[in-house]
Amino acid sequence: MSTLTLRAAPPERLDFLNINPLALSRLSQAEAERLEVGTTRTGVRLGDCFSVALDGSDTLTIEGSHERLDRVGATLSEGAIRVTGDVGQRLGAGMAGGSLTVTGHAGPYAGAGATGGTITIEGDAGDHAGGAVYAAKAGLDGATLIIRGTAGAHLGDRMRRGLILAGRAGAYAGSRMIAGTLAALSVGDHPGYGMRRGTLLVGSHGRLSPTFVETGTHDLVFLKLLAKSLRGLSAEHAALLDRPLRRYSGDLATIAKGEIWVAS
Amino acid sequence: MAAWVKGGATDADTAIGAAVSLLAKARAPVIAGLSADVAAIRAAYDLAGRIGASIDTAGAVGTYAELGALSRVGAITSTPAEAVGRADAVLVVGAAPWRTALVKRLSETKPVRGRAAGADRALLALGAGADGAKAASSYPAEDGLAEAVAELRAYAKGHLAGDTPQAKLVAQLTAAQYGVLLYDPAELGELGVEMLQAFAMELNETTRCFTLAISGPDQDRAVVPVAAWMTGQAPRSGFGRRVPEHDPWRFDVARQVAAGEVDAVIWLAALPVERPDWLASVPSVALVAEAEASLADVVIAVGRPGRDLGGVLWNEQRAALTYWPASAPTDLPSAASVLGTLRERLVTAGAASRSEPAC
Repeated sequence: MSTLTLRAAPPERLDFLNINPLALSRLSQAEAERLEVGTTRTGVRLGDCFSVALDGSDTLTIEGSHERLDRVGATLSEGAIRVTGDVGQRLGAGMAGGSLTVTGHAGPYAGAGATGGTITIEGDAGDHAGGAVYAAKAGLDGATLIIRGTAGAHLGDRMRRGLILAGRAGAYAGSRMIAGTLAALSVGDHPGYGMRRGTLLVGSHGRLSPTFVETGTHDLVFLKLLAKSLRGLSAEHAALLDRPLRRYSGDLATIAKGEIWVAS
Repeated sequence: MAAWVKGGATDADTAIGAAVSLLAKARAPVIAGLSADVAAIRAAYDLAGRIGASIDTAGAVGTYAELGALSRVGAITSTPAEAVGRADAVLVVGAAPWRTALVKRLSETKPVRGRAAGADRALLALGAGADGAKAASSYPAEDGLAEAVAELRAYAKGHLAGDTPQAKLVAQLTAAQYGVLLYDPAELGELGVEMLQAFAMELNETTRCFTLAISGPDQDRAVVPVAAWMTGQAPRSGFGRRVPEHDPWRFDVARQVAAGEVDAVIWLAALPVERPDWLASVPSVALVAEAEASLADVVIAVGRPGRDLGGVLWNEQRAALTYWPASAPTDLPSAASVLGTLRERLVTAGAASRSEPAC
């Protein structure tokens, strides 16, 4: 297991796009320490801020992380990264496979455009988790994003495929959703604003837009399959499906093929 | 020319020297405001490229609400002149547009061109509050503008129906020959703007309908095309790694200051805009027309384009960049020339080099 240990708070935002187990496995210690990770004209190299210990394996641990670390695990395609501490924006953005775990909090746009693999945030996530960055076609796009704590506003904005689990979420959860599944124990106001397709499963919600209509209670095979797939990830979320569920269809402002399941 | 350093009046050379020493040692400088003529905006991008600064604008909240929606669903837009000349129904979304001169003009005139020429113009209000007293019909939108726009779109699609105020608004817009949806992007937000554009597209299935965004006192409408032709990107770009990187979250100057990531700011406001609160909390150089000593660490008075000197500015009425000659010429320097001098001095002084112990 390779390890990067933060020695002191970084003086500027760092970009970890090119720091992953696969890239580090081909480098010597000195080469890895010289990797550019800074984002200002002064610049910072990996060895300036981190103690580097490499063993060529497919797992990487980042110890004592900081909220200025952007794009940790972005474009990860295999192996595992474990971060002890917080990270900045775009955690696992565009990730294609592997596993990414953060023990602290994540900044905005976690899991943006991620097509595969599993991202787990044990603390809170910022706004637009699983959401799309500026001008991107889609947010989460096939990966699994698990947020144990609280997610900010616009959770799963424009998500297209994949699964998001969150403890609590802010306003506009599942906004402009194209497809996919989002489950949260509670969400804020206007869940599913402008959603086209996709499934929201919530324990409770804030104000529901009048462009969602109740379509009654249903006993669908899909819900049993969903419960089965959630059970392996979070028993709390799977338990939502054991409660009586009301189904809302919407957003009627769009093609209205989305649904919100509310556990009562 | 008037200049101040740390509140004390001084001459131009001393002020420029102070600005150069403040910027030369900065790790992550920012050029903010950009409320100026096209030449100054160009000079700002040129300087940013040389010193690795990032750029943010005075009206970025509204600009990005517009650009975010534009990048996803496109836009169907009109101009103020066209709206005044042709529109027989105008839906004013939110409260902010009611305070503009355009709404006053729309309420006092009738369409004179196109199919609706000679007809009466109906002003409709969505979520206007007390400002929309002049509206022919209105809907209060108490639960948020974005939600109210979504409801209108659902009615336009036929997914919702009934004898409601929203249905009446949609019917009036559908019956119009030339409808205009007037809104303030900063007030409506990106989600709302996207929904409004889709609503306009829906109405265009049966009639003609366009959106029209009001712009603030800032020059963001000029910055967007200048940024596009100079960097290929939207305004909030950073040059820290030599190439322009666009990141609306990272280069939000208010966020950067709050996070302690900025160590020098150039506040460019050759045309007056509201001064942000964060300006006092960071080492700053201000290039402003309405100069006062307490504004920043280094304050340099520059000419106001269109008054002290000529310049190309956003022309709200024509919805284009146009040249404005000086109405009362003075010998104040242009913001572009001050930024050019700063660039020359900083290039010869040499940019900051890599700090050896970075952490």
